[in-house]
This record gives sequence, structure tokens and C-alpha cells, in this order.
Amino acid sequence: MMELGPLLIFKELVKLISPMILFHIFWATFVGMIIGMLPGLTATMGIALLTGLTFGMEPKIAIIILICVYVGAITGGSRSAILLNIPGTPANAAACLDGYPLAQRGEGGQAIGLAATASFIGTVFGLFCMAFFTPYLGKIALEFHSWEFFWLAIFGIIICGNLTAPADPLKGWISGFFGLLVSLVGMEGIAAYSRFSFGFDQMKGGFALIPVLVGVYGIAEVFGGMREIIFPKVRSKVGRIIPRARDLINHYRHILRSGVIGVIIGAIPGVGEDVASWVSYDFAKRASKKPEEFGKGSLEGLIAAETGDNACIGGAIIPVLSLAVPGSAPAAVLLAAMWLHGVRPGPLLMFEFPNYIWEVTAMMIMASFASLIISLSFVRAQVKILLIPRAVLMPIVFVLCVIGSFAINARIFDIWVMLGFGILGYAMRNYNYPAAPLVLGVILGDMADVNMRRALIRTAGDISPFFTRPISLILILLIVLTIMSRIKPLRIFVSVTIAKVKKLFTRQK
Amino acid sequence: MEYEFKRQDFYSGLIIIAISLFVVVESWRMPRYFQGWPVYAAPGIVTGLLGLGLLGMGITLTIRSIRRQGTPLAFKRSDILSYLKDPKTHRLGLMFALSLIYCLFLGHRLFYIVVTVIYLAIAMITFRGTSPFKAIMISLMVAIGVALIFNRIFLIPLP
Repeated sequence: MMELGPLLIFKELVKLISPMILFHIFWATFVGMIIGMLPGLTATMGIALLTGLTFGMEPKIAIIILICVYVGAITGGSRSAILLNIPGTPANAAACLDGYPLAQRGEGGQAIGLAATASFIGTVFGLFCMAFFTPYLGKIALEFHSWEFFWLAIFGIIICGNLTAPADPLKGWISGFFGLLVSLVGMEGIAAYSRFSFGFDQMKGGFALIPVLVGVYGIAEVFGGMREIIFPKVRSKVGRIIPRARDLINHYRHILRSGVIGVIIGAIPGVGEDVASWVSYDFAKRASKKPEEFGKGSLEGLIAAETGDNACIGGAIIPVLSLAVPGSAPAAVLLAAMWLHGVRPGPLLMFEFPNYIWEVTAMMIMASFASLIISLSFVRAQVKILLIPRAVLMPIVFVLCVIGSFAINARIFDIWVMLGFGILGYAMRNYNYPAAPLVLGVILGDMADVNMRRALIRTAGDISPFFTRPISLILILLIVLTIMSRIKPLRIFVSVTIAKVKKLFTRQK
Repeated sequence: MEYEFKRQDFYSGLIIIAISLFVVVESWRMPRYFQGWPVYAAPGIVTGLLGLGLLGMGITLTIRSIRRQGTPLAFKRSDILSYLKDPKTHRLGLMFALSLIYCLFLGHRLFYIVVTVIYLAIAMITFRGTSPFKAIMISLMVAIGVALIFNRIFLIPLP
């Protein structure tokens, strides 16, 4: 299967080359870039919105549109980071540090060109890692049974909460557990008992994922954006855009390192592009011969940040396809969209849809090329979009959020769900609770519930396999280590113990 | 050290405790042998465990916030008044009210385009995004565009 991989990708690429598909690829990437560019509109929100809006389309077209929006948004976010010092999406926050000083020096065009090219390389690196590793992880995933899937869901929540709320992981875990509970509202999958529905027929169906996502990411952003109205001032002079080859060749180490970091972080459930970008930036700074230039317009910093966040896209799709566990918040929506369109990602994907991995890889290749072409052209026109006042933009976004939430089931109830979760998302943001674990919880809740109960049924109530099966044990160990690593007294105890042990083995003078 | 989220953590901790207690009690009240399934497959088992986990975290958050230095836990009248007088709060309240009214009008046999144009125009004019004439024109174009593209091309029903 692996030997045929490149050939299969090529075959899928050929299938995508048709005027209509190319048209969809370009407009979707362009829309994604606009969403990414505009501060306040995130990749997750864009994909969630488009999932609803493309619901009636042919599945293949709908998924390619969503992938293009994903890639476009993460790439486009660097525009506003460079020109406004406001990241278009959280993933581009690290790009502000060096992109904006470059723009202030009149090298905005060079920064945009380099960021776009680094994003392209990062995306391509990520997608090839995805194509290579997904089948292997898929094979390992076949060893996962109910016990392991239960622990995987819990592990996803814990690691996601840990990394998306570095200052206070407790809030990340609370957010994740709350998300798990939200997903369990309505009829459950084993005995069809209606939980927490309070006799309301609409509640028996549970909360649909898209209205929850649109609410938490979109509506919360609309309220936040309207509360603090910012009038952007864009530097109109951008200068040379096409990057010099030597700027890229000289920094190949940073590109490679950031690519690897992006893919690894992407593959960790729920963590996402923003963490990948910051970690890549940090590693680049540590490895640089000129760390003092970081934060003052360093090309190395900008390249590392943009390669890292885009490589994360491919990484985040690896667990989506192999385990049905999203690697990032946008990937979570992509997973939901795949479900909506009849594809069941997970361990059986390679049997049910043998070519799907290659199909997604081909779609990402097209998206990354479209993103590069659009990034390096129409820059001046795109810059003007940044000048649209928020007071005009946000009400329009609200209207689109309403349509997007309504479209999936044509229920007014979903609009209220969206609004309710929008208020919750806004409150969570103000109280420093990350939204990503909540979203991951909503996705993984059913997996945790059904697998735990199914496992207990299989063992007639015996809980020992949860703690004795090898993969379960590894997952439990990872969960315990993740939690322990964030408990301060334990951390101090461990470091003191390690120091004492080291001392025992050190030769005394 | 001043801990800026001391008060927020305290109140959000209390809310989490209340929610998790509700979840635990509701889970306990769920049937144990539903439709012949054994007790360990009961619908409330996972929700109960998650509720207990959330309860533990809510208690930790609340106790931690009480023990930390920082803002007093009780709200003063001046705090509430200054929050209510803040223009940002006014904008947030206004946007929320407008959005709520818009949602209330949807799905009640009112023509989608009309409701959307009115909502968009009022929002843009109230928040001074652009001149009233431009706001009405943009609203018209957006509402008609959305209705045409999504209803006619993407075949999505309008609320």
C-alpha cells in the first residue's frame, strides 16, 4: 500500500483537475484567506460556517472547500499580523513579533512573501507526513478496542486542556469535561434513553456540533468584536512580495525543524496551530545564531512561526483520519463535516474508504498551491479588505452564523443553541477558559460514553481490563504524567528527587 | 502577587459546582436497568463519573481562589456601577439585544430578506460603521446575496 502511495495521490490529483473543482478550490481558498486575514474571524469559525453552507453540495466538493478554507485561513492570518500587528487567527500570533517590525521598516511585502512561502512549505511538509503516517497509525488504531477508546477520549481532553491553558490547565480540563457532558445531552447510543432533555423534543436529539462550534467560536467573536471596536491603520506600502530564494535556502534548518514540530503538535489531540506556531518560534530562537534579533524583525522567527502553524494542519488531520480524534479545533470541524457527508474516519477508514487518505492529500496539495498563488498575488487588494470596519463586518458575520447553524437540520432550535453557546463562549473567553477542549469534548463525548459502557457489557462489569491492557496502561500513564506535570508541589518533589539521584552518581571531589 | 482572576475563579467555581452537582443527582436518578440492560450499562454511569470529576475540579478552583491573594471576593456597588457605565458594556448589551431580537423574528413567516436588511442596517447605523445610506445599501446587497446564493445555489433553506 505504501509503495503505491505517491501513484495514488497522483491519480487523485488528476481527478481534481477539472474547471469546476478548480473554481471551487480558488474561491474557497480566497474566502479562507479573507476569513484568516480579518481579525476576529478564525479558521475554526470559517470551516464551521462553511460546513453548514456547503451541506447541500456533493460530499467531495464540500470537503475540498473546507480544506481550502482551512489552509487559506491559517495562511491568510499572517497578513493582519504583519500589517496591523493583530493576528488574523490565534495561529498567527507569533508572526506578529517579527512580521510587524519588518512592515514598520518598510519590508512588509518581503514579510508577506516569506510568510506565504513558509506557509506553503509547511503545509506541503505536513500533508506528506499525513499521507505517510496515517496508514501506520491506522494499523496501530486497529488494536484499539472499547477500553482504549475510552482512555483515548480522556487523554485527548487532558492533553488539550493542558496545552491550550498553559497558565491554568485546571480551566482547560474543566472546559473539556464540560464539553464531554454537553455531547451526552439527548438520546444515548445503547438503550436510546434521553438524558438531560427535560421533556423537550428538540433536546432529545442533543446539541448538533455545528451550532455549538459556530456559537463558541463565531458568536463569541462577534460579541467580543463589537464590544471593542478597533479602527485598523494599515501601512499601504508593501514593497517587493516575491521572496528571494536565498532567504529560504539560508533558513532551511528552521523550516525543517518547524515542520517536524508542527506535525507532532498537530497530531496531539485538540492542541492546534497556535501552540505549534509558538513552539516553533521558541525552538527557532533557541537554535538561532542571532537570538537577539527575534522580536525585532527576524526573518528566522517569521519563517519558523509560519512553517510551524501550517505544518500543523497535516499533523492535525493524521488522528482525524486514523482515530477519529481531531488534532486541532479546525480539524474537529473537518471531522464533523466528514461525518455529515457520510465518511467515517477512524481505524476502519482504510477498509471502508481505501483511497480517502490519498484523496484528502490531493485536496491539500491543491489547497496549498492555490493558497500560495493567491498569497503572492492581489496583495494590495487584499490589504484593503483589512480596512472594513468591524461595525460593518460583525453583523454580516452574525447573519452568516445564523444561516450556517440553521442549514444542517433546518431547525430554529439550532439558532438558539448557537446563541446560547455564543454567550457561553464569550463568558469563557473573559474568564480565561479555553474553547478548544470544550469543542474536543463535544466531539469525543460519545466515544467515551459508548465505549466505556460497551466495554463493561463485554466484561460483565469487570473493570480490570481498563487498567491491565497494554495500550490502556500507556494511555493511563500519559494521563497521570500530564496531570502530575502541572501540579507544582509534585513538580518540585520530582526535580529535587532527580537532583538527589544525580548527586548519588556524581563522583565526589 | 495580585491574582487578577481570583474573583472570576471563585464565582465560576461556584457555578461549576452547581452544574456538576445537578449532573451527579440527575445521573443518579436515571434508570439502572433500562430496557433490560445491566446496571453497568446504565445511561447515567458515564455522566455521573464526569459530573464527579467536574465537581472535584470546581471545588479545587473555588478553594484555590479563596486561598489566593488578590481582588476581594464580594462585589461592591461601585464595581457594578462602573461596569454598567462602561461604553464597552453598552455596545455589548446593544449587540446582544439586536441579535436576540433578530433571532426572535426569524422563522415566524416574516420574509427573511426583510428581517435581515432591518437587522443589518440598524446594527451598522447604531454602531456607526458607515453612513446610513451606505449601511442600507450594504444590508440590502448582503441580505439578497445571502438569500440568493444559499437558497438558490447551495439549496439551503432560509430561516
